Amino acid sequence: MIPELVGTVVLGGVAALDAAPVAQTLLSQPLVTGTVLGFLWRDMPTALTVAIVLQILAASTLPVGARTPEDYAMGGVVGVGVALLLASQQSFAIARDGCALLGVFAGMIAAALGVPLLKWQRRRNESLSRWCEAELRAGRAGALAQAHAAAIGLAFGVGVSYSAVCLGLGSAALLGVARSQSLWLARAWALAQPLWIGLGLAQLLHAFVQRRLMRIAVFGAALFVTWLLLVMHAS
Amino acid sequence: MGLRASLLQATWNYERQQGLGWAWALSPALERFYPDRGVRCDRLAEHTAFFNTQPTLASLALGAAAALEEQRSLTGAPDADGMRRVKNVLASSLAALGDRMFWLTLRPLAACLGVILAASGSALGAAALWVCYNAMHQGLRFAGVAWGYRLGPAVLSGELRPRLERMIGAWALIGVAVVGAIVAVLLAPGGSPRPAQYQVVLAAGLLLGLLAAQRVRPSPTEWAFGAGILSLIVTWPR
Repeated sequence: MIPELVGTVVLGGVAALDAAPVAQTLLSQPLVTGTVLGFLWRDMPTALTVAIVLQILAASTLPVGARTPEDYAMGGVVGVGVALLLASQQSFAIARDGCALLGVFAGMIAAALGVPLLKWQRRRNESLSRWCEAELRAGRAGALAQAHAAAIGLAFGVGVSYSAVCLGLGSAALLGVARSQSLWLARAWALAQPLWIGLGLAQLLHAFVQRRLMRIAVFGAALFVTWLLLVMHAS
Repeated sequence: MGLRASLLQATWNYERQQGLGWAWALSPALERFYPDRGVRCDRLAEHTAFFNTQPTLASLALGAAAALEEQRSLTGAPDADGMRRVKNVLASSLAALGDRMFWLTLRPLAACLGVILAASGSALGAAALWVCYNAMHQGLRFAGVAWGYRLGPAVLSGELRPRLERMIGAWALIGVAVVGAIVAVLLAPGGSPRPAQYQVVLAAGLLLGLLAAQRVRPSPTEWAFGAGILSLIVTWPR
């Protein structure tokens, strides 16, 4: 299990970099990190189940304007990581549903608690930028590269440390619950999963539709045609 | 410069936002236009001032700023104030367009495409999400510098803006269709309908989400957390 845990926390660092400091390629989105973790832990069904819910919630959380949105780069890695860690200790399929529920909760909490951490890094970068300007005024052009290296190093270090702490705390706090309350958690998962997916999809629908009737009609038509095709294909 | 624009947000902070990243991305152009180290460092220090826009479309502003710096190195105009004004105007118009284009449309669309594949158990969902987003994101990031350099500060006043606006409309239309398809796949995966309880709860979630979307607060995550707690309470073993 050690290589899987190490891989998960390193992925946490990579996701923290991709989320904002480097390239923003969406490598940090929960579906992408979740799929990588699914391969790493050799449990794709659990990874995808948790990643889909977190991905829909992440997509409905928008980094627009001055608001700092929940950090789903960390939420994705921690949520899927905790679910996989817990599921690796369970033997029955029903217990895995409970692990998925706990994973989504862990992901949401990690995403919400990641916001103050992001703000802290951004405040640290203020003094870095002041130092860099002073160095440039003194004729030292290399300061720009040094400042960038320092900021990237900090973001990676914080990402690795935060995912390691969350994984440790999550598994310590939730392993017992996952073992002893698997039936209750599985029943709650059956209720919470469609509720979460519906909530997130509605937010996306709202963002796409923008009060245009034609788009609502396209949504209805796509839903009906896909459903018809699926039913016809099955029969 | 396109490659360096990938680090535009690396040193993001509340005081200057993307200022430092902007100077870093622009430095190859300044190296070419200002062979004198002292002048170059002064120009770089000027560019570390406040700047913020949508990070992908920032490439257009970078290209335009490089064109202006070239002109400045030859004629002395525009001065530092003129440069700052052009940057501010470009930053706000690119942010308005880029936020709608990338954060409100392309990112959710890519996520939906990924989710629809992942919901059928395929690990290719992640690849679909990544490729769909990056084809546009990286394409514009690298090509944008050349467009900005060629067209200068007037980069958004020509044919480019209407073309991007049409693209946003088309993506939103594809987006609603994909959300419709996801709902259908969730209701009847593989053609066999889910139990009525699942369908009712999914519909309730959609309805609740549409109501929640009318207000900024509570955030979607806070709603989801509340919904999760409610599910735990309702199913509490008695």
